[in-house]
Amino acid sequence: MVGTNDTEQRLASLMRFAQDGNAPAYVELLQEVAPLLRRAVRHQRRFLQPQDVEDLVQDVLLSLHAVRATYDPARPFLPWLMAITRNRMVDGVRRYARLAANEVAVEEVPETFSPDGPNIYGEREALRRAVSALPPGQRQAIEMLKLRELSLKEAAAASGMTIAALKVAVHRGMKALRKALRAEA
Amino acid sequence: METSELIERLAAGVVPVRRLISPWRRALLWLAMSVPYVAAVVWLHAEAPHITTVFGDMRFVVELTAALATAGAAAVAAFYSVVPGLDRRVLYLPLVPLAIWLVLIGDGCVRDWLQLGVKGLELRTDWHCLPPAIVIGILPAIGMVVMLRRGAPVQPRASVAIGALAVAALGNSGLSLFHVGDASIMVLVWHFGSVAVLSVLAGWMGRHILNWRGARVIRARTLG
Repeated sequence: MVGTNDTEQRLASLMRFAQDGNAPAYVELLQEVAPLLRRAVRHQRRFLQPQDVEDLVQDVLLSLHAVRATYDPARPFLPWLMAITRNRMVDGVRRYARLAANEVAVEEVPETFSPDGPNIYGEREALRRAVSALPPGQRQAIEMLKLRELSLKEAAAASGMTIAALKVAVHRGMKALRKALRAEA
Repeated sequence: METSELIERLAAGVVPVRRLISPWRRALLWLAMSVPYVAAVVWLHAEAPHITTVFGDMRFVVELTAALATAGAAAVAAFYSVVPGLDRRVLYLPLVPLAIWLVLIGDGCVRDWLQLGVKGLELRTDWHCLPPAIVIGILPAIGMVVMLRRGAPVQPRASVAIGALAVAALGNSGLSLFHVGDASIMVLVWHFGSVAVLSVLAGWMGRHILNWRGARVIRARTLG
């Protein structure tokens, strides 16, 4: 019990320093809470794959970072953290269920393409090459809007580009990708 | 990206943040901003009643107090709901003044019915009330959304529904001053009904108004 109280007090104190902008204290705090979160996620969501667990842990860390102003140093830290964790776990499982619903488990993948023709791995590699060949603005827009599926508002906030500029960049990027992939085929 | 790398990147960009003040203080702040605004709209409205008319009707004063208490309690509960880890029972706080408000209006309906018969329960539409209703609610609503978004969206639907209850109850307190002496059935259907409908609709849209967009933006910036 004493150990738990000590941990609680240390984490609360590190969080207070982190709120004041102390980077080393923040690293220490996040490094200490990451294993706690991993354990909590594994314990409560046993069906998740290790990669999904790690994604959720990262989601919680990012959420903690986004709302760190809501922590009141006069209150215990762990209930605050666990309330965020529970919320993100619910969202994470919702996302997991959505993805799982779109996946079909099959015993044997039916072969519908010619063994000599381009296959999915080759196409993925070609797409990767085509994306990296895009000018930086178009590449960033494609990555944010098409690969990470951010909304226009979110991508604008993250990149500092205007929504109009993003729309133009993604349109041009898609056009360039189509051209590059057609040339490869 | 490895979690250890994410931690390093988050810490590299950490800046001092201004801590949120307590939910009670935030509720007071919201009321301090919204009540004078609502009072000013009432004051400027052509149908504004004289102060002696308002305070001469005791039943009206009690109903008004219950509506204002609902607004205050709902504001406290809404600001509580965006702080992770706090006691969730506070979210039920507005139910007490809300129930009292409903009972008072219900009692008024029964009295009107006993006094005037079916005529006492006649309902009519007052569309000219719609523009002042929108004007009276707009600033408190904007203030509520801005203040809720500074918190954590751990219960977005409940937070937005309760926040809307605070806004609607306060707005209705102001609107009721245009209609001192209105039949209770009118207050029940148009005033209390609109409060209920607005709260439910706002709660339904809760995830669009309050969400983890901030965390997603940070992820994009950190990974980008």
